[in-house]
Amino acid sequence: MTISVGPVSDSIASWFSLRGLPLALSEILAVLVVCVLPVVGIVFPIAGVAQYFERKIAASMQRRKGPMVGAVGIVDLVADMLLFWLPRWKRRAAARRVERLPVLGALLRQVRQWGLGSMAADGVKMFLKEDMVPGGADRFLFRGSTYLALTGAFLAFAVFPFSQWYHMGDPPVAALYLGAVTGLVAVSILEAGWSSNNKWSYFGGIRAVAMIVSYETPIALAIAIVCMWSGTMSLQGIIAAQYHPGWFSFAGWNLFQSPLLTLLAGVYYIAALAECNRAPFDLSEGESELVGGFHTEYSGLRWGLFFIAEYGDMLLVGGIFATLFLGGFQSPIGEQWIVSLPPFAEAVVHTLIAVAKALASVGFMMWIRWTLPRFRIDQVMKLAWTKLVPLALFCLFGLALTQLVAAQRVGVVQVVYGRYLSAPVVRLDLFSWFSSWVLVGGAIGIVVWMAKRAAPAQAPEMRRLLGKESA
Amino acid sequence: MNVEREGDYITLSMGPHHPATHGVLRLEVTTDGEVIRACKPDIGYLHRSIEKIGEFLEWYQFVPYTDRVDYVCSMNSNHAWVCAVETLLACSEETKLAIPERAEYIRILFAELNRISSHMVGLGSMTMDMGAFTPFLHALSQREFINDIFEKTCGARLTYNYMCVGGLVRDLHPGAEEEIRAMLKGLERAMIDFNRLISSNNIFKARLAGVAAVSAEDAVSYGLVGPNLRGSGIDFDLRRDKPYGLYGRFQFEVPVGKAYAGSEGRLGDCYDRYVVRLLEVLESIRICRQALDQMPPASGVEDDPVGGWCVAKAAQKALRKPPVGEVYFRCENPRGETGYHIVSDGTKFPYRIKIRTGSFTAMSIFEKLVPGLMIADLVALIGSFDIVLPEVDR
Repeated sequence: MTISVGPVSDSIASWFSLRGLPLALSEILAVLVVCVLPVVGIVFPIAGVAQYFERKIAASMQRRKGPMVGAVGIVDLVADMLLFWLPRWKRRAAARRVERLPVLGALLRQVRQWGLGSMAADGVKMFLKEDMVPGGADRFLFRGSTYLALTGAFLAFAVFPFSQWYHMGDPPVAALYLGAVTGLVAVSILEAGWSSNNKWSYFGGIRAVAMIVSYETPIALAIAIVCMWSGTMSLQGIIAAQYHPGWFSFAGWNLFQSPLLTLLAGVYYIAALAECNRAPFDLSEGESELVGGFHTEYSGLRWGLFFIAEYGDMLLVGGIFATLFLGGFQSPIGEQWIVSLPPFAEAVVHTLIAVAKALASVGFMMWIRWTLPRFRIDQVMKLAWTKLVPLALFCLFGLALTQLVAAQRVGVVQVVYGRYLSAPVVRLDLFSWFSSWVLVGGAIGIVVWMAKRAAPAQAPEMRRLLGKESA
Repeated sequence: MNVEREGDYITLSMGPHHPATHGVLRLEVTTDGEVIRACKPDIGYLHRSIEKIGEFLEWYQFVPYTDRVDYVCSMNSNHAWVCAVETLLACSEETKLAIPERAEYIRILFAELNRISSHMVGLGSMTMDMGAFTPFLHALSQREFINDIFEKTCGARLTYNYMCVGGLVRDLHPGAEEEIRAMLKGLERAMIDFNRLISSNNIFKARLAGVAAVSAEDAVSYGLVGPNLRGSGIDFDLRRDKPYGLYGRFQFEVPVGKAYAGSEGRLGDCYDRYVVRLLEVLESIRICRQALDQMPPASGVEDDPVGGWCVAKAAQKALRKPPVGEVYFRCENPRGETGYHIVSDGTKFPYRIKIRTGSFTAMSIFEKLVPGLMIADLVALIGSFDIVLPEVDR
């Protein structure tokens, strides 16, 4: 019996077996390492750190300092806990002595100044708070929904390609699988809202389901279109199809292949924002309308699990966006120097690039979160069904046509990337690429220009408010 | 309300501790899914019997209580009360007070500054109700600059107790004029930033456009006042139409609603009320600048008729034996017309005080306006009326 999830797990298994473990056990251990590491080693820590960065980003947008530890620092806290038998002034004096230490003291001052202690404090707070189940709640569902939320977020990482050597699995229908497991979020939120025995939570749950189910349509369409463009449903295959030799490897990314793919990227991003309940689509939470929405009644670590699931979802959305449109784990400035590295080093470099792309996307979501107000539920629905779905369908037919025309003109090729051979894809030559940008880009430009012309002129009062006209 | 089957509806208790009700307001909301079918405001959670307490206090002692009637614009409440008492005193030649001109100007200056800071709270909390937290903090930071000036002059940041019958408690602090001018300049820039950030945002507009439109007839018959009334297109402002204090000497426009939200907007919708407040801030800046320009310099003598700040001795004497009679004095506060009805029986205690506030009358239109709105619209409606609960309950 041999179980393996790729060469990285094989090499770890051989490392174990060389140290005397039975083969089967070492293989199972290796698979566990490969499968658990992304979640425990990448997603969990990032969820904690991302929250710190979100607070800092929000603070900088609001012209304030954000998390900082004030007069009572970490050292004081630790000294209080460790030296509890001493009088208070002696504990303070001990803390001051630690702070005057040459390297450690400087480090601690930095930690304080940047408010890094807030991350630890948040974690401790979450663990120590009482885990309450409200009276009249459905205890089983109330507890179960938290695990389901995490499951939905983390199962999707099972097919997430961190590098061409490092992933838990690459089934040939990975794109389909993604669509299936990300839908679990809706179920968990509905469960949480329904089981809380709170009308506000119930509203949050219902809103979430209505919204997520609607937004799955444009998401599924977007993924399907990219699969059509790349000729495969395997995520590794989609990434391989975006490979472009030479130093300008970003030229191969789907985002730049056609204006329709750029448009599609926008559609996907907006829909994905709604899928992970982020502002301006955070209706299920809606703190000014529904108090806290579906998680109003949750406390302590259970609330924290929802929180981690949300950040895990964000990271996942960023990662999938990178996979579909930004060349996945490929670097924008040439791939040849990475592919020529030994597999382990390559896996590390590619994982870092993939995570960096996902994090950039998460940062963009935070920027949106702290800028835009919230939609109303009917507007959210209208946006999905009257804007995003038609746009995605437009992209579908447009790209199919592009592929058809380009296949006639330049034919199909197979991209060789590392150990992958892509499905036959259409690579546009310069002429078709340029003409598609001019045609479609021009059409979009004309539509925007006409919409601007058709809009009624702003009232002079509004112009005055915007500083365009003085009183 | 057309109820087909009782079981089809959910009754929600929105408040008294709901984040969107701006205080301890409770709304009993009957909803059909997201759509509200009926809404019954339940008020009284913050009732402190301020009017009754006033009957046991001497005339000048009631000023700090007016701070608490509407703590977001205490200066304006102070102004309304002292003007009411001074109007009562003016009924008889013996007790009539000659308020120093500088004091009158400072009263108007501070009333307008407080109007700006009150509107900043109203506009900011409205954006927060719509789910945008950043503009809320931008608005509140401007309010802090105004509070800094108030604190330097009168020592408090919220409940100022600065005006008194006969003038002011003390003169402006040294260098206040320059500080106020600099603050106003910064405020103008900040307002443009704020508007570009949120007021012209398409989502924000779409959330408010056409929502809870109050027709001009309804606005009058339900007794809406201030920006809520002007948002429905009725051009009425006590500062211009029935000037009190020195308001007759100032040049300013009275902004009214004009369906600013564009094609989707309707006259008197939430966005109109919001824009009227924004424009009022700009007009208040103009009034403040004029007040600073026209204000006579400080003479350093307390009861100087031009450059002084208070005729305290005359006021004390007059308040011991005020004329018998009733006065109803109305003031244009940030939340609209605030009326102080005082009855005097000639003693040093008021016989009866009745306060008429804009937020209280705004509650009455909820039952008519809300059915058919969504829950999120109700939040927008509460925000756009800019109600302050201590003013509702007193």
